[in-house]
Amino acid sequence: MLVVDNLHAGYGMSEVLMGTSLTVKKGTLVTLIGPNGAGKTTTMRTISGGLKPTKGEIILDGTPVQGLEPSKIAHLGLAHAPEGRKVFGPLSVEDNLLLGAFTRLPHFFGFRAKAAGDLEKVYELFPRLKERRKQASGTLSGGEQQMLAIGRALMAHPKLVLLDEPSMGLAPVIVDEVFAIIRRLKESGITLLLVEQSAKRALEVADYAYVMERGRIAVEGVPAELEKNEKVVAAYLGS
Amino acid sequence: MNQALMQMTVSGALMGLVYALVAYGFQLTYATSKSINFGQGELVMVSAFFSLTLTDLGLPYYLMIPGGLLFGVVAGLFVERAGVRLALEQKSEGWILMTIILGLFGFSAAENIWGRDDRPFPTPISSDPIQLFGISITPLEISVAVGVFMIMAVIELFKRKTLLGKAFEAVSADRDAAELMGISATRTIMLSYGLSGLVAALAGILISPITTVGPTMASALVLKAFSVAVVAGLESGFGVVIVGLFLGSLESLTSYYVGSGWREAPGLVLLILALAVRPTGIFGKGVIRKV
Amino acid sequence: MLKRFILIRGIEGLMVLLLAAIPLMINNGFMLGLLTLLAIYGILLIGLDITVGYLGLINLAQAAFLGLGAYAAGLTVTHFGFGMLSALAVSALLGLVMGGLLAFPSLRLEGPQFALATLSFSALSATILNEWESLTQGAQGLQLVRPPLFGLVLDAKGFYWLCLCMLGLVWISMKNLLFSQWGRAFEALRDSPIATDAMGIGTYRHKVTAFALGSGLGGLAGGLYAFNFEYLQPSVFVYELMVILLLGVVMGGRKSLWGAFVGAILIVLLPNLLSNRLLFQIFSAIGFLSALGAGGLALYQKRTKPFQGVAPMIAMGLLVVGSLTVQNTEDWRKAIFALMLFSVVVGLPEGLMGFAATFLSKIFKIEPLPLATPSDLEQVLVKRDVDGGPLLQLQDLKCYFGGIKAVDGVSLTISSGTIHGLIGPNGSGKSTLVNVVSGLYSPTGGSILFQGKPLVRGSLFDVARQGISRTFQNLQLFSELSALDNVMVAMKGWYRSSLPLVLMGLAKKDEKRAEADALALLEMVGLADQARIPAKDLPYGAQRFLEIARAVARRPTFLILDEPAAGLAHPDVMALLGIIRRIHGRGITIILIEHHMDVVAGLCDMVTVLDGGKVIAEGLPDVIKRNPLVIEAYLGKGSGTASPEAVSLATPSPVPA
Repeated sequence: MLVVDNLHAGYGMSEVLMGTSLTVKKGTLVTLIGPNGAGKTTTMRTISGGLKPTKGEIILDGTPVQGLEPSKIAHLGLAHAPEGRKVFGPLSVEDNLLLGAFTRLPHFFGFRAKAAGDLEKVYELFPRLKERRKQASGTLSGGEQQMLAIGRALMAHPKLVLLDEPSMGLAPVIVDEVFAIIRRLKESGITLLLVEQSAKRALEVADYAYVMERGRIAVEGVPAELEKNEKVVAAYLGS
Repeated sequence: MNQALMQMTVSGALMGLVYALVAYGFQLTYATSKSINFGQGELVMVSAFFSLTLTDLGLPYYLMIPGGLLFGVVAGLFVERAGVRLALEQKSEGWILMTIILGLFGFSAAENIWGRDDRPFPTPISSDPIQLFGISITPLEISVAVGVFMIMAVIELFKRKTLLGKAFEAVSADRDAAELMGISATRTIMLSYGLSGLVAALAGILISPITTVGPTMASALVLKAFSVAVVAGLESGFGVVIVGLFLGSLESLTSYYVGSGWREAPGLVLLILALAVRPTGIFGKGVIRKV
Repeated sequence: MLKRFILIRGIEGLMVLLLAAIPLMINNGFMLGLLTLLAIYGILLIGLDITVGYLGLINLAQAAFLGLGAYAAGLTVTHFGFGMLSALAVSALLGLVMGGLLAFPSLRLEGPQFALATLSFSALSATILNEWESLTQGAQGLQLVRPPLFGLVLDAKGFYWLCLCMLGLVWISMKNLLFSQWGRAFEALRDSPIATDAMGIGTYRHKVTAFALGSGLGGLAGGLYAFNFEYLQPSVFVYELMVILLLGVVMGGRKSLWGAFVGAILIVLLPNLLSNRLLFQIFSAIGFLSALGAGGLALYQKRTKPFQGVAPMIAMGLLVVGSLTVQNTEDWRKAIFALMLFSVVVGLPEGLMGFAATFLSKIFKIEPLPLATPSDLEQVLVKRDVDGGPLLQLQDLKCYFGGIKAVDGVSLTISSGTIHGLIGPNGSGKSTLVNVVSGLYSPTGGSILFQGKPLVRGSLFDVARQGISRTFQNLQLFSELSALDNVMVAMKGWYRSSLPLVLMGLAKKDEKRAEADALALLEMVGLADQARIPAKDLPYGAQRFLEIARAVARRPTFLILDEPAAGLAHPDVMALLGIIRRIHGRGITIILIEHHMDVVAGLCDMVTVLDGGKVIAEGLPDVIKRNPLVIEAYLGKGSGTASPEAVSLATPSPVPA
């Protein structure tokens, strides 16, 4: 579904990605872990087009997408629930979800009817969003905003979902809830690329994992192998 | 209340609605791009001249209006392409200078194409005053009010009820996140400039029969629209109407009691005062600095 | 050294001599008039360049200040019989005061509001000049006679020399200013207003001062203008003049005295250019060809966006067409200005002098002045005595954004003389916490005590002045400034020379001392040999170190390091540890926000762990490392949840170091 090959990108003079390569197969959950500043979020931003790569290839479902505008890449079937959630604060929960399906819905009228089924599905996954559908999304709690961000990404019927740090800033109880949902998404056959701070949690749900260090993939493998890898453990507690 | 005072307040308030309409045009583009067209006054004026030419060519009033509005949209799109986009890409404030330049060009072109003199703008709407609650008011003035409220209502409905309108608000809330939803920020900004041009053209068409058409017809108008936009804040459509009504009547009272040369003063003073007391505007939101 | 002196001072001197000598060689009244106007506009544009160039703001009020200054001079002379110099002083003072009054409210916001406020100010002053007929004679115009200078009646030549002297004085004092702490601060606040505030330099205060200075020059130019024409009309000082002034600054080149001068030449010549058809045709042809050539080359080499190359060609092409077809160019004056300005803004944004400067610096390589000898670090950072008592105490601190509880009731005490680590996963509230302490955000609730007293809230600037200094997680360097200048900006509070002294060039000794001290700090972080390199061109690691050097240059009591190791390679992390230890060795208390447990373990006396905006553990690094809650926050446990009660119960009571 997604092939990233020898990706280079950065901000101004400083290069953050120095030849990142990874592959996400259809229907799998792949995770990208590593220390802060390693370039995980930058990788995600570059894949979804927010940052232009200086070198390398990104192929989404057979189509090269590197250098395209983010909106264009979204039309090609990529949904990105970004770091920090980035819900549209002044808009209601339901409007946020509707906008998630912007690529598929009619832009003037009749979009509500067409989206009704999908909205129901998302509400079923996140009952709390249904309770707050009319509320301005900026007033939701952090956990609810995260769920909204995931729900919004799902509304697009994407080929691939990028989840960037879904547990960021959330209390442990909520993190468990978020991961339960990620597990359900995976079971329903959605292809996911997950960036996560909490390596252990990420490895528990992932089919395959990449460990990033200073802009490159340092180690990769199935979670069971990585959990035994001393380097991986060291990267997190330094002991 | 004194009869003359009432009369002054009401007719001033009607003018204020036009300021509000032009200020609303600033809000439309500010919402999507944090930029405004400093040449908006010239856009109002050139659209009015264009509409006058359509009338001169024999087009009936109600067919001329869509023609004039279309011209406004095209002019708005041109401003975005030629004056704003590059500066926004470079994340600079160069658009201020660029839109001033485009306005100056429009002004000079109008002066030379249509002449420097003020010309009357024909309209089928009567300007014979009728009495309403003891105040004399012309159907022409009423048409201005109706036009302003109608266009603002239509655009607000568009923003709230259509998905594209919601996309518009999404871009103003978080441009990057909107892009991730497949909403092209560039196109949304274009659209906002088109709408802003449409609003400006309508302002020109509405006000021309009252003020006559000339190259300087909008230079005072736009200053007051700036004041209204800053005083109300660049976010609230409701706010510009309130402030517009207030400023319009204040101005008309000033010119009645102090002298007509001073009619520009209250708007300007109000603007500087508003900046001193509440720089984000009365109806504006606060800003969070981010690192 | 000699070459530098000849090239820079020599050219300036030569220009002055040449300008002064022209009237002696050529006896031509018209020419003299142009030269006088050149000197006046030179002053005006230097003033405008302070806001437009150095502050990077669009200022639409300079024409109004010219008008106000002109009327002030005219009225004091006609009504009160002021002499030349006292009238000019009144003009400049009026510009300064009015500029300050305008800037005071309107500079609080960036963006279009400022430009709008200046535009309204212009309109307001035009209204006043027009309508206050009892004072200004309104549209009829004000007639005046040039007053004597110390009893000496100046003829046209004499007055020209006076204007030239004024320009020279302005030039020298502006040069003194721009190459001082003040000039550096102006540039710094353009690059990062947040960091400027955090360095204890009031961004707002500096902007207002700069704007008032520029307006004062506008007023001074106005006074000279009045005495040059001896007749004033409000309709001169309007929108069109303002656009022409902007044209001058932008076309000449921003952020440059020479640019302002070249701009003044252009403005003075422009009307004459338009009055001669053939001259105008030649000029527009040259403009078109250069747009075609430069744009075409840039497009061919893919150095620029298509729009940037093509738009000036179209605009200049229109100018050529116009010059061939239009009968009366004077009628189209504004459109011509517009097309020229458009082409320059799009195609040559750095202006003629900016372009020439890059070109000239390639031909004449001017060596920079040699650097001062670094001071002794021991004296730059005098060792502070620490008593180990509480330095910073947070009590139930909260900071919410909408529904997000970024910091949710944190209580924390930092003892003086310690390195206190603050760790936690991404988004756990570490950065928000220090952003609240350093004044970037206002807390939603709770209290902050610093040195036993409540700390100012919500103002970076005021907090910095209390002796708290910080670095930023996302670098906030003054990217256009050199490494040395970055550090020197932060020393402004230390060597505070008063503005008049700086203007007169009497603060150079302080400059040298600041430079020596800054070099000592650069040496400390290992950047002494990169002192002249612009911050944006330094490698990433060096940028991080530079931020630390800059923060330390404030000689803080308390230093906040926000993820200094983020993104650093291993050798750099090692160097960082050394730097932090040295700073700590000077008695500076440090809070270190970190992600890497090993960095924290090697340095800190005490560690606090945050998760979800709350403190989940606190204690000695070794103890923290084994704390199950901390391990869980980092590695995650998957199933099995720590309830909030469990969290608070499990917080170990720390042993103060």
